[in-house]
Amino acid sequence: MAHQPCAIVGIGQTQHKSRRWDVSLGGMVREAARRALDDAEMDWSDIDAVVIGKAPDLFEGVMKPELYLTDALGATGKPMFRVHTAGSVGGTTGIVASHLVESGRHTRVLAVGYQKQSEGNAQFALGSGKGASLGAGGAFAPYMRGYIQRSGSPLDVGPMVAVKDRKNALKNPYAHLRIEDISLEKVKSSPMMWDPVRYLESCPSSDGAAAVVFTDEAGGRAAAAAGRAPAWILASAVRSEPSQFPGRDPVRPQGAVDCAADIYSQAGITNPREQLDCAELYVPFSWYEPMWLEAHGIAEVNGGWKMVESGETALDGDFPVNMSGGVLSSNPIGASGLLRFAEAAMQVRGTAGEHQVDGAKVAIAQAYGAAAQYFAMWIVASSLDPFAN
Amino acid sequence: MAARARTSDDIAIIGWNISPMVRKTDKTEAQMLLEAITGAVGDAGITRREVDFTCAGSCDYVAGQAFSFVQNIDAVGAWPPKRDSHVEMDGTWALYEAWVRLLLGDIDVALATGSGRSSTADPNLIYPAEMDPYYLAPLGTDAMSFAALQARALIDSGAVTERQMADIAVRARRDAKGSDYAQVSGDFDADALLATDYVRAPLRKHDLPPITDGACAVVIARADKARELCENPVWITGFAHCSELHYPGMRDLRRADAITSAAKAAGVEEAPVEVAEIQTAFTHEEPLVSSALGLGADTAINPSGGPLAANPIMATGLVRVAEAARAVRDGGKHRTLAHSTSGPCLQQNIVCVMEGSD
Amino acid sequence: MSDSVTSTSATITFPYKRSLGPVMSAFMTALTEQRLLGIRSGDRVICPPREWDPDTAADLSDTDLVEVGPAGTVESWCWVATPSSQHPLDHPFAFATIKLDGADTGLLHAVDAGSIDAMSTGMRVAPRWRGERKGHITDVEAFVPGESAEGGGGESAAEPVTMMEYNAAITYTTPITPNEVRAAAANAEGRFLGLRCPTCERIYLGGRGYCPVDSLPLGEEHEVDLPQRGTVTNFTIITPIQYPGQTETDPFARVHVLLDGVEVVVPYQALLDVPVGDVRIGMRVAAMWGDQPQSSGWTAVNLEGWMPTGEPDDDDPNLANRIC
Repeated sequence: MAHQPCAIVGIGQTQHKSRRWDVSLGGMVREAARRALDDAEMDWSDIDAVVIGKAPDLFEGVMKPELYLTDALGATGKPMFRVHTAGSVGGTTGIVASHLVESGRHTRVLAVGYQKQSEGNAQFALGSGKGASLGAGGAFAPYMRGYIQRSGSPLDVGPMVAVKDRKNALKNPYAHLRIEDISLEKVKSSPMMWDPVRYLESCPSSDGAAAVVFTDEAGGRAAAAAGRAPAWILASAVRSEPSQFPGRDPVRPQGAVDCAADIYSQAGITNPREQLDCAELYVPFSWYEPMWLEAHGIAEVNGGWKMVESGETALDGDFPVNMSGGVLSSNPIGASGLLRFAEAAMQVRGTAGEHQVDGAKVAIAQAYGAAAQYFAMWIVASSLDPFAN
Repeated sequence: MAARARTSDDIAIIGWNISPMVRKTDKTEAQMLLEAITGAVGDAGITRREVDFTCAGSCDYVAGQAFSFVQNIDAVGAWPPKRDSHVEMDGTWALYEAWVRLLLGDIDVALATGSGRSSTADPNLIYPAEMDPYYLAPLGTDAMSFAALQARALIDSGAVTERQMADIAVRARRDAKGSDYAQVSGDFDADALLATDYVRAPLRKHDLPPITDGACAVVIARADKARELCENPVWITGFAHCSELHYPGMRDLRRADAITSAAKAAGVEEAPVEVAEIQTAFTHEEPLVSSALGLGADTAINPSGGPLAANPIMATGLVRVAEAARAVRDGGKHRTLAHSTSGPCLQQNIVCVMEGSD
Repeated sequence: MSDSVTSTSATITFPYKRSLGPVMSAFMTALTEQRLLGIRSGDRVICPPREWDPDTAADLSDTDLVEVGPAGTVESWCWVATPSSQHPLDHPFAFATIKLDGADTGLLHAVDAGSIDAMSTGMRVAPRWRGERKGHITDVEAFVPGESAEGGGGESAAEPVTMMEYNAAITYTTPITPNEVRAAAANAEGRFLGLRCPTCERIYLGGRGYCPVDSLPLGEEHEVDLPQRGTVTNFTIITPIQYPGQTETDPFARVHVLLDGVEVVVPYQALLDVPVGDVRIGMRVAAMWGDQPQSSGWTAVNLEGWMPTGEPDDDDPNLANRIC
């Protein structure tokens, strides 16, 4: 019985913006969910269970919003589940939903992640309304300085990541930030917000939602037969570690290393750089691209920046990273992880439109949270056995 | 009764711990959890290192802090890093996620926790935040008011009387005298209780739960591991959850169909239930939930005293699981169940059915 | 136990601004016009209206809106003898589900009946409108017994109402643990308290309750005094974004300090009397204590910051990675 195959047959997302003042909370999550159902050629009644993920409830001032959103997402009379694992939550939400199918509990599951940051003030809520906080940029800046120092990376690598992701975003119709005249010079001349991170090397604060429909093997094969390519989940894993203790390395967190090793082992991957076709990683600040490429074993230690510098991670490079424009271009926190996971699935389904990587068959997605201590990752592929032959 | 033959995919509860139930703790939530987890893994005869997956249930709004669960990871022993998750729900749903995770078959042992310090703020000011943010929260609609609205609907329909509600409180407080985890217990007289003023008519103080700080941890394992570690595993034979629509005015408050659905999916009706530990934090909910679960008069309801004796928000449901498991392992019962709920007027419900080894 | 718990209280007022979407926008706008709306779904009318059928999740649109009420029938009610600060009325009232005439579901609102004796299931009620309405559920101040709407007057909204505000104040009282109390007391004396785990011998800043690696409770018997000098290992310079609660206006530095002779890093510390352009890894610094002892969490809040000692910089190239 254990571990049956699980396919992704529907993906939807909202237009991400700094303020989606045209929709209510329910309207916003339904916009993404409806698109995912349409993509799957399903209706609300076809879904057996719903999993919802989002980051702190204090951001919108709705406690346990899965209660209010139960009927908005068609879960009246059904199981409704709520996940919260900080910034990694969107990824964890996808994984929890996939487990409901893989365990045989349900046949068709809808996962939804969202954040409507404009309803409140995230900076204020991070301090729990009790005063000033450093902001996420301030908290992560020393980790990035540590990376630059230990890897010997040229200082232009961060801005190069920003330019690449912002160019990719121009090809993604749902992206929040669309900066037509983006250039290295423009990034480097933007204000230094959390030294060493500049304004244009940082993620925005977004309203938005993402939704994914999961189904069992029969459902995946039926979608394929109908000409709607599914994405198959080859592997998934989560890891957490404490935030602060002597000996912890937050620049290359052990949880990030272990989580990647776990999914490679599950998927039978021994050379990720060669066996994966592209990656969609949680990069809210530019330097996290080379940091995660290393922690996830895609680049050698202290070599992640070389992949950026050589252009390998560009959309037309050998190993494209963050084809969607990434978190740097859209950051509805609770949805951000699921957007990464969904982008990887879109790539192997061949439905990524202008940001499609030609011939992508196996893709990796990752989300992380809190003090770089919560990790969720999966590998999806265009078939259940992509490495055969 | 003839229990279904166990397979290697069966999962059993092999240990648990319930923290002291107090009105106000001097511990942080992480400290409460640290002790509960140490107790639970000790009860299971293992160390934290042998736990393959952990899932916690807690709530930022109860803690009064965004990302409050992040500090609680310190209690888990997540070094080396651990497979771990968190739900902004009662620990019973954390146990559900852990149970589903073990069903996948690649790992053997999981730990679920629930924790909350209800003492941090006035529940009447916190709970409006979980109601419809446009039509209900701005009216300050609190959990007690919703419970009272449901109580009135049940009283008006003849499903329960204020006398029966007082009798339930008397029984719960009397039963709680035998529990180490009760905050409210003792011998009371129903007539005396009924002579007291309403707090929120038709509810009196005895119809309401206490405010409790507490935590609970439960360890589960796949069959082979469970048998290796434990002489008398408590098998989870059914586990399911189901939700009503949110806005109470759009529901028939005399019914609890989501509980019936969850009970059916968990197989409650397949055999008699000897003990039911149910999250009825308000007296009038007991007959409604019992009947929706399909329980008969021969089922003992909340012999621990239930949530009327101690109500550690976010752990109350998981404590029900631990108490129902205790009834099997230590109390010699064959088949028990636990129920947990969240949201206004029993909106969201989960049911876990447990059986002994024979 | 409860009486002896040291605690700190803070009232948090959360300001939120919500967009309503088309259906609730129409409902709220109609409130300013002293009208109540429901929404048709099949053969029933749902009130208050939403963008979906609550049973089937089918889309409902603002073209399905219909006027209901103003009077209705109480389906269930409870009596609020002592209103909370968030309740709509400051004197005893009822919350009730009210099936407005023409609607098939119950709207939840307050009923201002004066006395519990005036309340009964099945009673008829009608809205008492505020004189000044802004497109908010409390534009109906409360329902009152009877068939006729009361109050009102004043202006309708000139433009459709598309947003609403939500401000809820909650006072949280958080216990201060005995470890935190002792750490704060040490801070008040200008001392830095640490806790040494008896198993792994890692040292944590005083006030923490446990070793997260070994999952052991730490207490008074594990306390050690920590050095008050150290070296800056890493830093950031923050350009403050202005938001409610922000107290900084100019760019400021936060530094990580590795204490001398122990593996203890004090993260995100204020650096005193150093222009942000001069902040660098390797600077030697010493703790500067204030005279305002208080306690919160694991960090020494009586610490004003760290002052350069004037000693030569430490040039260890690995300092930048001493972050945790």
